[in-house]
Amino acid sequence: MSSHGFSGGPAVHDPATLPSDDNVNAYTFCVELDGSQWFLQKGKMISYYGSIEFDGIGHGRLDRLIRTSFHSPLHASDWVVARGSGKMLLADRAFDVNSFDLEDGNLTIRSGNLLAFQPSLALKQSIVPGFLTLIGTGKFVAASNGPVVFMEPPIRVDPQALVGWADCPSPCHHYDHGYMTGVLGGLRALTGLGGASGEEHQFEFVGAGTVLLQSSETLMAEQPMGAVPPDAGVPGGGAHGGQGQQSGAPRLPGQLGDLQRRFGL
Amino acid sequence: MFRLQSSKVLAVEMTGDAVKAKNGSMVAYDGEMAFRKLSGGGEGIRGMVTRRLTGEQMTMMEVKGQGTCWFADRAAEINLVSLQGDRLYVEASNLLAADASLRTGTGFTGMRGASQGNGLFTTTVEGHGQAAIMSDGPAVVLRVSARYPLTVDPGAYVAHQGDLRQSFQSGVTFRTALGEGGGEAFQIRFEGEGLVYVQPSERNTIAGDV
Repeated sequence: MSSHGFSGGPAVHDPATLPSDDNVNAYTFCVELDGSQWFLQKGKMISYYGSIEFDGIGHGRLDRLIRTSFHSPLHASDWVVARGSGKMLLADRAFDVNSFDLEDGNLTIRSGNLLAFQPSLALKQSIVPGFLTLIGTGKFVAASNGPVVFMEPPIRVDPQALVGWADCPSPCHHYDHGYMTGVLGGLRALTGLGGASGEEHQFEFVGAGTVLLQSSETLMAEQPMGAVPPDAGVPGGGAHGGQGQQSGAPRLPGQLGDLQRRFGL
Repeated sequence: MFRLQSSKVLAVEMTGDAVKAKNGSMVAYDGEMAFRKLSGGGEGIRGMVTRRLTGEQMTMMEVKGQGTCWFADRAAEINLVSLQGDRLYVEASNLLAADASLRTGTGFTGMRGASQGNGLFTTTVEGHGQAAIMSDGPAVVLRVSARYPLTVDPGAYVAHQGDLRQSFQSGVTFRTALGEGGGEAFQIRFEGEGLVYVQPSERNTIAGDV
């Protein structure tokens, strides 16, 4: 961890002084590749030394890797595999980035907050829409707006501050009693809007585990990412899910949605 | 004498000398200061015309006096650069302040600028002295040497200094057209000897999500 000397000029890094799989500063993470592979979210690489290739998830040579480590067709177009040797810097919108180690564990995280992970982890789509679950042993890198705070359940958290959770099997909604009472309560039940404090709705976690919170309520921009298959019993994919795309961010006129995203425009 | 009051506020101590700074970036001063707008960045008529033609416009002011003057701009992170006769290339919008003795000018960037959506020209600062550049999040300074060429995402590039050659790399293949590109289709490769400043955030570039 190198610090920025305020008066003596900034620290200058080269491949020898850059850390290996650690933070350069609070906002930049350095990954060392040595013939190995890392999954990373598209566009989060800011620079690299050495020779590194970035291949889309659909790349034929990656078939085996995808079979073992990537189980999220919805997010396939957002992820790439970096291969080669050298040191690569990752960052995201000047958000705080941190790496975490999982040992034979599981962790569920908001899809926009996950920046990169080692292929020894398997990425799976969470049953909770918009979240991804990592299972196995290895290192991953996550971004958050402000430093991450770790909390022990039982706890109720603000939906916007939630980054993810590890080992807790019980993420559920919690509404304060006020949602039932009065005209405002009725309106709120109908529209999901309004209310007195804006804090009547929380996520509740119980049981053993860890809950990760960010110290602000700024979310990563949600990306429309298609929909889960419209099978019976699949959350978010139910009968009224329909095209799915529509459920994401409102589409601006002239946007082609899926097609446009596929072409990267 | 430039010093960082915090990572987002630049303090300049002056004893009768002058600095150039981005117009309107003064947040406080003590002592006696005079502020004068420099038309065309103080580069004379020729500089003004060049800037107008290249679209690399820069509104700078000259601050002269005795005391301490503090500068900041939209809570951007500030990075100090010291120049010993070498040349700094930076986008005009990312240049906060420079010693008045440093010469500023306009340079050609070619495809790098185009891929960033910043236009084909950039600002150069050269001479002996200090300059302050701004970035979104603290910049990481990376050394480029003959052994270690560096590849940078155009959206994260802030500035570079020294004797560097840049080449534009395009990884656009038929896979990009299929939407299965690597997400890093446009890259700039730096070779030679020098320093490159990258920020932990990516501007929107025309390359976008490719």
